[in-house]
Amino acid sequence: MRVSEGVSDGNIAELYNPEQFQEHEEVIVFTREDFHRTYNSIRGQIDYINKVDMHLDRVEEWKLMGYWTKILERINILDINMNSMFKEEPVQCHLDSYLYDTIKSSEKKIAVSANKVSVQLKHSI
Amino acid sequence: MRHSYGIMDERKILLYKPHLFLKGNNLLIFPSKDFHKWHGDIKEYIDGLYQINSINLENGKSININELNLASGLLTNITEELEHLFDAKRVSDFSFQYVSTLDEKYTKRRENWYTSDMMKCDMRIPVKPSITPWIQHQNMMEIIDQSAKEFTMVRRKKSKELTDPSINEKRI
Repeated sequence: MRVSEGVSDGNIAELYNPEQFQEHEEVIVFTREDFHRTYNSIRGQIDYINKVDMHLDRVEEWKLMGYWTKILERINILDINMNSMFKEEPVQCHLDSYLYDTIKSSEKKIAVSANKVSVQLKHSI
Repeated sequence: MRHSYGIMDERKILLYKPHLFLKGNNLLIFPSKDFHKWHGDIKEYIDGLYQINSINLENGKSININELNLASGLLTNITEELEHLFDAKRVSDFSFQYVSTLDEKYTKRRENWYTSDMMKCDMRIPVKPSITPWIQHQNMMEIIDQSAKEFTMVRRKKSKELTDPSINEKRI
């Protein structure tokens, strides 16, 4: 599908790839962060079901009864995520995937900032 | 999810709901017709998954291996659709568009997902796990956690007795 990134600026949005769209074409605009979160959540659910599916031995059919409910639960989250794309209100899995996606701060960054502070202090003294 | 429609005008987009976005927000922009078509396609596959479930919903039976294979096939289709979203060369087929009309009773979430069937699966662990240092550590931590819980419980009781003399009076 044709897609472009952009930046909002008041009433208008500036495009990085305006050549992708025709003049007077109707478009739908999401914030990148929101879309990334929902998209990743959908991918996560599919990965989970695939893993269950792969680990399930086809001979042991009696196990299916238990695992199918687990799979259905994930399908439900998948469905909620898809429906949330055109809804205004946030959903529960919003928070879960958001916490999971956060980037951990590395020790390097902390060391650098500490150095900066000490240098500034010396100058001020 | 925050979203707004807009229209292309002189290589820029006029937003219909500009109040939803802050200045400088990073945006993703799709053609709305294509996006609705893509959304409908995935909904069609998800409804397919619900239909597989609905066959046995009323009988109270579970699915069989063939139906599981069918479900995993549908999931592969969904994965493909997700990849097509960012494939600029791919042109959508507008010959039909799916609108979900599935009854809500099929999409309802069940209250308790951990069934007795699942417990059976969990109980019968076929291979005895080999004891690795990691498992030993986990086991130790579980014991410590439990003892810490009990310890705090006792402490709380004691502190309550100290702060609330009415409990002691009742005992006397």
